Amino acid sequence: MSLSLTGVGRQLFLKEFVSAFLLAMKYFFAPKVTLNYPHEKGMLSPRFRGEHALRRYPNGEERCIACKLCEAICPAQAITIEAGPRRNDGTRRTTRYDIDMTKCIYCGFCQEACPVDAIVEGPNFEYAVETREELMFDKAKLLDNGDRWEREIARNLALDAPYR
Amino acid sequence: MPKLKIDGIEIEVENGTTLLQACEVAGKEVPRFCYHERLSVAGNCRMCLIEVKGGPPKPQASCAMSVNDLRPGPNGEAPEIFTNTPMVKKAREGVMEFLLINHPLDCPICDQAGECDLQDQSMAYGSDHNRFYENKRAVEDKYLGPLVKTAMNRCIQCTRCVRFTTEVAGIEELGATGRGEDMEITTYLSKAISSELQGNIIDLCPVGALTSKPYEFKARPWELRKTETIDVMDAVGSNIRVDARGREVMRILPRTNEEVNEEWISDKTRFVWDGLRTQRLDQPYVRDLGKLRPASWDEALSRAAAKLKAAAPERVGILLGDLVAAEEAFALKELALKMRIANIDCRQDGTPLGEHGGRSGYIFNSGIAAIEEADAIMLIGCNPRLEAPVLNARIKKRANKGGCLIGVVGEQADLTYTYTYLGAGPESLAAFLDHPPANKQKPMFIIGQGALARPDGAALLAMAQKAAVSLGVIKDGWNGFNILHTAAGRVGALDVCALPGEGGKNTTAMLQGELDVMILAGADEIDMSKLGKTFVIYIGSHGDAGAARADVVLPGAAYTEKSATYVNTEGRPQMAVRAAFPPGDAREDWAIIASLAKQAGADLGFTSLAALRAAMYKVAPQLLLLDQRVVADAFALDELQRGAGEAFKSPFVSPVKDFYFTNPIARASAIMAECSALKNAQKLQAAE
Amino acid sequence: MAEIFFTLALIVLESLGLLVALLISVSFLIYFDRKVWAAVMMRRGPNVVGPWGVLQSFADLLKFVFKEVIIPDGANKVVFVIAPIVTSLLALSAWSVMPISEGWSISNINVGVLFLFAISSLMVYGIIMGGWASNSKYPFLSALRSAAQMVSYEVSIGFVIITVLLCAGSLNLTDIVHAQNHGLGTKLGLPPSFLDWYWLPLFPMFIIFFISALAETNRPPFDLVEAESELVAGFMVEYSSTPYLLFMLGEYVAITTMCALTTTLFLGGWSPIIAIAPFTWVPGVIWFLIKVVLVFFMFAMVKTIVPRYRYDQLMRLGWKVFLPISLAWVVITAGVLVSMGWLPS
Repeated sequence: MSLSLTGVGRQLFLKEFVSAFLLAMKYFFAPKVTLNYPHEKGMLSPRFRGEHALRRYPNGEERCIACKLCEAICPAQAITIEAGPRRNDGTRRTTRYDIDMTKCIYCGFCQEACPVDAIVEGPNFEYAVETREELMFDKAKLLDNGDRWEREIARNLALDAPYR
Repeated sequence: MPKLKIDGIEIEVENGTTLLQACEVAGKEVPRFCYHERLSVAGNCRMCLIEVKGGPPKPQASCAMSVNDLRPGPNGEAPEIFTNTPMVKKAREGVMEFLLINHPLDCPICDQAGECDLQDQSMAYGSDHNRFYENKRAVEDKYLGPLVKTAMNRCIQCTRCVRFTTEVAGIEELGATGRGEDMEITTYLSKAISSELQGNIIDLCPVGALTSKPYEFKARPWELRKTETIDVMDAVGSNIRVDARGREVMRILPRTNEEVNEEWISDKTRFVWDGLRTQRLDQPYVRDLGKLRPASWDEALSRAAAKLKAAAPERVGILLGDLVAAEEAFALKELALKMRIANIDCRQDGTPLGEHGGRSGYIFNSGIAAIEEADAIMLIGCNPRLEAPVLNARIKKRANKGGCLIGVVGEQADLTYTYTYLGAGPESLAAFLDHPPANKQKPMFIIGQGALARPDGAALLAMAQKAAVSLGVIKDGWNGFNILHTAAGRVGALDVCALPGEGGKNTTAMLQGELDVMILAGADEIDMSKLGKTFVIYIGSHGDAGAARADVVLPGAAYTEKSATYVNTEGRPQMAVRAAFPPGDAREDWAIIASLAKQAGADLGFTSLAALRAAMYKVAPQLLLLDQRVVADAFALDELQRGAGEAFKSPFVSPVKDFYFTNPIARASAIMAECSALKNAQKLQAAE
Repeated sequence: MAEIFFTLALIVLESLGLLVALLISVSFLIYFDRKVWAAVMMRRGPNVVGPWGVLQSFADLLKFVFKEVIIPDGANKVVFVIAPIVTSLLALSAWSVMPISEGWSISNINVGVLFLFAISSLMVYGIIMGGWASNSKYPFLSALRSAAQMVSYEVSIGFVIITVLLCAGSLNLTDIVHAQNHGLGTKLGLPPSFLDWYWLPLFPMFIIFFISALAETNRPPFDLVEAESELVAGFMVEYSSTPYLLFMLGEYVAITTMCALTTTLFLGGWSPIIAIAPFTWVPGVIWFLIKVVLVFFMFAMVKTIVPRYRYDQLMRLGWKVFLPISLAWVVITAGVLVSMGWLPS
């Protein structure tokens, strides 16, 4: 510890503190980098991977054919599918399509694997819930998501199509 | 022994070998769809094209060309073929492209995806783009019965299924109509296939045109846990692979074992898996006021043990069922010994097997594979098509080859091959008693339970032995005296001597005199009404006749849920492996027997399966030789003459009334019920 | 009798009024605190509850109150519950002597400074009790640190207060404020202004007092007691719900107390910045509040811009820097006062 006079003076008159204070004040009045979130929202890429949805064809037919490729590719093993022939026409359909959203890591492999664009990760990221159980998405919930977000999902897919 | 060079590797192969087989010997993989080792050569997929040096300047179908057709080089060098030249590559790519022209792009909804030959080979030889813009061929799906589902758009006309049904299953119900692009596989009349081996065409189909109907869309091959184990639906002991997902068995597939089942399994073996889920006993029950109610293990065991302790040993009986493994039979035998119970029997159908004649008196002495060498086969009181379809396929294979005389004493049934009908009952067998030796090298008797599971079984067995000796079935270096069992556990139980002790009663006697306590270890085929007021302790996996009658039900494990030794009809011990866990509170059977014994005050001397096995191997060392056919000494067969009585005159009737309903597991299966109903309907139709 | 009753009622009413005002201002100070940090970090800070998020503290209050009180199994339950009550009660009781404006103090006692000093020393008990009663490693370590830290800095705070006393000649807080009405500025012929307040003549003491106040209230950069990266939440690790809320409340009230004390001792209390026309119209309580908020703003800014001290640095600063300087300044001040004959009468 050197006891130079200037050093002592600098300490006594808090030179470093004052310069830090001035710097802090500069930032104090600088424009904010954060958004006023619930009221303002940031831009989302068409490739944004948010809440999952199961899509339907325009005629209302569900797209998913229970090929289980998403289940196979899922690195977190969050997807559980049970399949069987559909009762009225015997086509291959899921009898159960569950995604454990607490396991999901939002890697998007499921939508890459899907041969019919049935499972997609939509633009929605605001689906916080009050209980853990509500994050165990079942087929009805996912199809419902698909119906709700179809317009945005279709637009995002169309926007991203040229790059695929 | 012709020599040839394959990609520069010189090998020597047997006469008549095809080029494809020669390539395999040399370790070169040749893609193929229509070729199958166990079927005749068709040569219609063209995928196995190779280049032959000095041959015509075009690729050759290797499956259809014999090595003898090759021309040696100008200086007598070995002929050369190539599997990796640009010509071969181009040819295969071309063939693949043609195959894919009409093959739909529906892998995502195809059950074959993941284990599909076409999928795999198109990864290796296929092109990554399409040059075909016309409409694809569309074919109507055919109805092949409740077991095989068709998606005929996917068919690549390899005709493996047609060849299998004709050559192996022996039913000419499947064929092809049309030619070229219009060729279709069909049953002509759109009726269900009637074979007991039809499930195998699902495995044979290289694409997803024929898939399993019960398994339809249920699972993907990659999510299944595969366990190699043993089948217990018949006494052949087919080698199977059980595919399970989670706790549930999803399907059963054959494994190749040349000695036992080649690579076929019967439909009952293949489709019985849904019976493993239904009608299961998943917790102990006790009968109170005439009704069964769920109970804890402690309660059920203590009630059973109290009854066991209270009863006099000679008033206690133990009856073993058809699916009891050797370990369980041994444990019960030990229980009987320790509690001095002489009334124990593993033959719930009442055959005299195992009493005399040593081990050779109750096994299929020549071995199943020896059928292919036999030059004369006499089927006595058995219908192998129902009792052991895979064994029947082996006889069919022998019959196809020709030069084998097949005679039948018993029911005149459609066995899928032609035979000489010799008579219906014992008197026809008696005709051979003093017959001069047949002019055959390897004659063979196959004696079924139809001839033995009757009161005069011992006499018939003795008669058969006598006839066998006089016909030369039993001679030096050849023992063709074969018993065909129907129960998978029977030989194992006989091997550990689960037979009445000194002064003990056999099944028939036990069922006549009312006993105080009766332990039924999976014995469901007996007449329950004969049990009277007996206190019945039932150990088993399914809620069948035995459980319905029982006073205490102790839930056990089915054959896919335990490690257990099963000895097949030829005396080959094989180990079943656990593929899934027993449902609910059910336990492994040996453990139930051990704890029952402990509660009843008898120390069996083992607390683990390993210790049980060690003790068992001391009693029956042949069980240690897993997967080997343990040949038994033929000299003891003469003893069969002892204790033989008079034979009756009634004709032999096969013990298998309904192929699909032979055991509790099959009876619990909805698929089996559907097959049985269909079969009966067909029978009715035929009768009209 | 009636008169005593009236006086008593008046005191109770005054106390209640002060309490309510204090709690409400503390809640807004917390909001202010968070907003300041956010602003320096170029964030927005709380902005959801109420307009611009001003009601955030009330939302937090409700959240804490409605949460379940968890008392660890091995804890000494009585002490565990008493600790936060002690902390918050002591912090609040300090305000009974604080002169908010001319004559605006609940009890204008002559030993006000000593009372405050005593109360702030007692505050360490709440922390020690909480840390010990939790029966857990982190709270206990934290409590030990806290005790040593608070004791160390009280020494220099004591010397700083002595210099102020030497100048003011009274332990009465109101008198100390009055004593700041004349000083350097008035000697130069100016009206009473900020130049007369003690921050100027006792500038090093002012700085030392401010820094020691930070340490005394466990504020950053001296928040080793609650150092998140080491002790999770310090002595409050095992606390939840209302007891935790009481600790937090006690802490912020203590900070406010320190701000008010700084204002009183060095910034002329309720005195206007210059005693001329427009400034004198503003009531004293407003001046007081402005000054308190200003000091609190400095507290908040220090938190945003100064990294945390290591424990040995903290101790070195307390014992080896502040103690000698403040001791020397006591001697210098006394010497100057005596030699110049400026001793207060």
